[in-house]
Amino acid sequence: MRPDDRKYTRTHEWVKPDGDTVVIGITDFAVNELCSGNEGDLVYCDLPEAGRTVDAGETFGEIESVKAVADLNAPVSGTVLEANPAIEDHLEILSKDPWNQGWMIRLAPKSKNLDGDLLSAAQYEAYLAESH
Amino acid sequence: MPWRWFVGPLKPLAYQMALDELLLEGAGASARPTLRIYRMDPPGLSLGWFQTLDDVPTAKGLVHVARRLTGGGAIHHGAELTFALAAPKEHPWYLGPVADSYTRVHTLLAAALRPFGIDARLRGDEPLASDVAGTGMCFQESSALDLVWPRAGDGALAKGVGSAQRRRGGRVLHHGSIKLAADPLEPGVATADAAGTGVSFDDLAAALLDVFGRAWTLESRPEPPDAALDARARALAESYRDRAALETRPRRGTPPGAADVQSPV
Repeated sequence: MRPDDRKYTRTHEWVKPDGDTVVIGITDFAVNELCSGNEGDLVYCDLPEAGRTVDAGETFGEIESVKAVADLNAPVSGTVLEANPAIEDHLEILSKDPWNQGWMIRLAPKSKNLDGDLLSAAQYEAYLAESH
Repeated sequence: MPWRWFVGPLKPLAYQMALDELLLEGAGASARPTLRIYRMDPPGLSLGWFQTLDDVPTAKGLVHVARRLTGGGAIHHGAELTFALAAPKEHPWYLGPVADSYTRVHTLLAAALRPFGIDARLRGDEPLASDVAGTGMCFQESSALDLVWPRAGDGALAKGVGSAQRRRGGRVLHHGSIKLAADPLEPGVATADAAGTGVSFDDLAAALLDVFGRAWTLESRPEPPDAALDARARALAESYRDRAALETRPRRGTPPGAADVQSPV
């Protein structure tokens, strides 16, 4: 079971409330789709700088594995406060710990009631089971 | 659902990259799973999505350079065949990890190459004679999923297909490139004529259509881009060949309007 302290998207991002902010990352499923367990296959990740505003569903960055480039989509609307500085030089943390160390960006959400089309952990599990 | 397919059009590289973006977007008839096979006129060099001109020494001095929507290394599109697959990511062809869809495509490519005397296989852990560090060229770096076969001349195992994917908006684009003959800008790679039989673009295109059609079912007739899609591709092509944009790494995560982060999309 994936962590139930956060919400999920059908494009395999997660969003976790943290005080007045939210933290966003991608799921283990997304990582495995890109690199099939070979952590060295992730080669580049483009994340936004602080100050960028994003709408729910909008692309906030891109991630590249040796064989594919994929968009990263914002689960909720808000303003980027920071990007995880560890990711650029240590993409392997996305494979090792996508839920904590592998967070990607922190947002000041536009609304306290998170506005995206979000799934609970159980709903995300069910979505994976039926669609993949 | 049968695949829509078409061969061509014969256009410059930037136009071809723009048209593939529209296939990925699913514009018009391209919403259906689509296979197209094409080549560039004139020849040109495509940069991988995150590459800049400085990453690819071979690009220096070349006039026809464009960014490719898919990642990986640069490819010189001279005597070669390129194909593009575009489909929703839920399509059976694409289900599962990226590695699975690569394996499905490369299995079909190996079958298409067999009539030309080519015994292609996935690289796995084997070392390749075509790997050269620091060139930034797709055919000169490899991964376990690449399709390889003995090259002409010394028969050493070499990379024979340049492949990369792009996922966006619930859809996927897969690019593949096969050399018909040796290319002086990418020496030492495996080519479709490695077994000593001359292989034309038309020969290889027909072989691909035959193999893909038996595996996936193609529509009975080709359906090339209509005038509206062609017009959009022509307009979009300008951004793909913009020299200033080729000198900087595309950044989707940077505020729009930033002076040094122009992106073709």
